[in-house]
Amino acid sequence: MAVRTIDVREKVMARNNEIAQTVRERLRQAGIPAFNLVSSPGSGKTLLLEHTLAAVGEELGIAVVAGDCQTQNDADRLARHTDRLVQAVITGGACHLDARQVSEALDALDLEQTRLLFIENVGNLVCPASWDLGETAKIVVFSVTEGEDKPLKYPKMFQNARWAVLNKIDLLPYVPFDVDRARANARAINPDLQFFYTSALTGEGLDEWLGFLREQVPAARPA
Amino acid sequence: MHELSLALEICRLTEEQVGHDALGRVVTVAVEVGDDAGVDPSNLEFCLEVLLAEPPFVGATPRLLRLPGDDLRLSYLEVDDGRPDD
Repeated sequence: MAVRTIDVREKVMARNNEIAQTVRERLRQAGIPAFNLVSSPGSGKTLLLEHTLAAVGEELGIAVVAGDCQTQNDADRLARHTDRLVQAVITGGACHLDARQVSEALDALDLEQTRLLFIENVGNLVCPASWDLGETAKIVVFSVTEGEDKPLKYPKMFQNARWAVLNKIDLLPYVPFDVDRARANARAINPDLQFFYTSALTGEGLDEWLGFLREQVPAARPA
Repeated sequence: MHELSLALEICRLTEEQVGHDALGRVVTVAVEVGDDAGVDPSNLEFCLEVLLAEPPFVGATPRLLRLPGDDLRLSYLEVDDGRPDD
């Protein structure tokens, strides 16, 4: 047989990245910053978002795309704190959200009423690092009940994130977690990473986090 | 962890290149896997072997090319063009 070679050299993620660019442009035109919240399971993303919605959900016009492997539990929890703008995406077992799912979720949201968007990714520090969703930035959440070496174990995620939230700081007296070492590990991977220190349970540290969010929201929507 | 969905996307890109009817004549699917692409090469190879053994493919072989960097690309395809050997 005669074999012909076809040069392709196409990125496997090309289609996802194209859709992500469309999402990014749509959000840019609407003047909506979008944060992709990534973490391992159980780090407190949903509780952090619950407090955030309760405190400034209305003030900042926050909408959430809540991704979960299975169940709508997180979206239901979040919807209790706002009477609008929570869209559930159930990935059916998939380990990450992709740009198409976010694009479709945006169709179901009222972007006119939205000034800030959170995308709560599936709890997983591996795969979500590889999928561009069209977000403004990734924010990685990790907690003091995890190891200080989390950033070293999952470097791609910490490399791709612009901000980190160290959560569950109310447990610091009870767990052998060295904050300085965790921060040094993270900054060895990503020297520009900015930190917040929170307890989504007690509310400690949330003022700084909420202040940061206020700064991210444009004062007025573009005409 | 998501190698199967990547393998499916590689099959879709292959179909985009050669057309559905020619998928049975694909002999080799070569994929460039960057060391920092977040992909387990042996897992991806296994997923591709499974998919390429099933119709509309007819026993195409995956070939993984390890490279530095974080790219994951469908590199090239080898297709039996149906002509007898020259």
